[in-house]
Amino acid sequence: MKGSFVEIGHYNEAKRGERAEGDVFLSRKSAEEGRLIAVLSDGLGSGVKANVLATLTATMAAGCAASNVPIKRTASVIMRSLPVCSERRISYATFTLVDVAASGALSIVEYDNPAYVLVREGSLVEPIKTEIPVKRGRRSGGLGNMAILRWSSFQARPGDRLVVFSDGVTQAGMGSRASPLGWGGPAVEDFVVGAVRAEPGVSARDLAKAVVREALARDAGAARDDITCGVVYFRDARRLLVLTGPPLYPERDVEMARVFREFQGRRLVAGGTTASIIARETGAKVKVELGRLDPEIPPAASMEGADLVTEGIVTLGRAAELLSSRERFDALPRNAATRAIDLMLDSDVIEFVVGTKINEAHQDPNMPVELEIRRNVVKRLAAVLGEKFLKDVKVRFI
Amino acid sequence: MSEKVRVVVCTGTACYVMGGAELLDIESRLPAALAGRIELEGSPCLGLCHDRRNGAAPFAEVDGETVAAATIEGLAEAIGRRLAARGGSGKEGL
Repeated sequence: MKGSFVEIGHYNEAKRGERAEGDVFLSRKSAEEGRLIAVLSDGLGSGVKANVLATLTATMAAGCAASNVPIKRTASVIMRSLPVCSERRISYATFTLVDVAASGALSIVEYDNPAYVLVREGSLVEPIKTEIPVKRGRRSGGLGNMAILRWSSFQARPGDRLVVFSDGVTQAGMGSRASPLGWGGPAVEDFVVGAVRAEPGVSARDLAKAVVREALARDAGAARDDITCGVVYFRDARRLLVLTGPPLYPERDVEMARVFREFQGRRLVAGGTTASIIARETGAKVKVELGRLDPEIPPAASMEGADLVTEGIVTLGRAAELLSSRERFDALPRNAATRAIDLMLDSDVIEFVVGTKINEAHQDPNMPVELEIRRNVVKRLAAVLGEKFLKDVKVRFI
Repeated sequence: MSEKVRVVVCTGTACYVMGGAELLDIESRLPAALAGRIELEGSPCLGLCHDRRNGAAPFAEVDGETVAAATIEGLAEAIGRRLAARGGSGKEGL
């Protein structure tokens, strides 16, 4: 379905001088239900104490939502169980809870955070919100002891962006000559809409980062409060096809070429024989790039219709090894393996179509390196992409 | 000047790990007289390793002639032969 992929990204800047963040943004994905829950919580004060309050709040909110606890109960559970600050004698953390069903139906509960911003087709949309009063704290009291939750729900449309942020964003620059009252909700809304119009395809993470950077600049580069922004973006999934290995029976070469031709998304061909088969079937030409050679990773090649062509076992094996052992990939030398990693990390849905014919020459004991069987390399790669990088991975043998 | 000799180096898995990586550096390692006279190209797996009768990896082709268990020296020889066959000017490099 178009626009059916949900990307969640966030960015955070701790208050200057604090090592722990007083705001917490967490998101959870339930694979079975296809449901996504994200929470932004801002704990009272800053530093470790605030972090504890915010973490507890965000975790409880997400946990209750995942177990379908009604929102009023959730709020009162949170308010009753937060530890009381020894200095201020109160316990307090705000939260914004975003619950996205597999159908794209959204339910949002806000408690004392700045109002979320919804951008649809480049413009602001303001859903109707229902106020729900909830008793605050353990003791009974008058209305002054009531907290107000704001609940809204709507059906997400492809391209929608939901932006949540802490008051470190709206209050950024407070006391400055330019904005004595801080950046302010309406101006933040304008900024978000402007950023989306300027770059309609901007990712959730980049948009969150842009908001936080702007707030930080308004605080003259030293955050006066924790600054956090989270974005939920409904967009088309970026799809990648990885074709690797010749089919066991040559009769299936045609099918492999058909998969290649008909795929909607980017295409990586990993394997020399595989590339030759596709080239033969589609009438394309494979050109090996001899520009920058790597002694261990065979050079990449180009072919019409493919975003990248690489050798198979060695390159995919290295990609799997790097993905398992590292968190960052931007400082690595550019070779076919790191280029394949870029393509994979830049995709949401990765489909491996694997030919299972074994090249007996690879089993020669004189080989200076051990060459794994393709099926195993792909299994390792698929596992790390799915488990560590939360990619939606499919593997099909041909 | 006569046409260049076309040298195709296989960059398939078996060839690359058996020494093909080094062969791609041939232009900087050939004697000066030969270096300017070749046209180097990489190729995805040529499929030669699938049949033992072709010999051992790494494989390369010099003007279409297959060279098995290829080394820089072996390729230099083959290139020299091609140039000699074309008109005798290839020997000076060897």
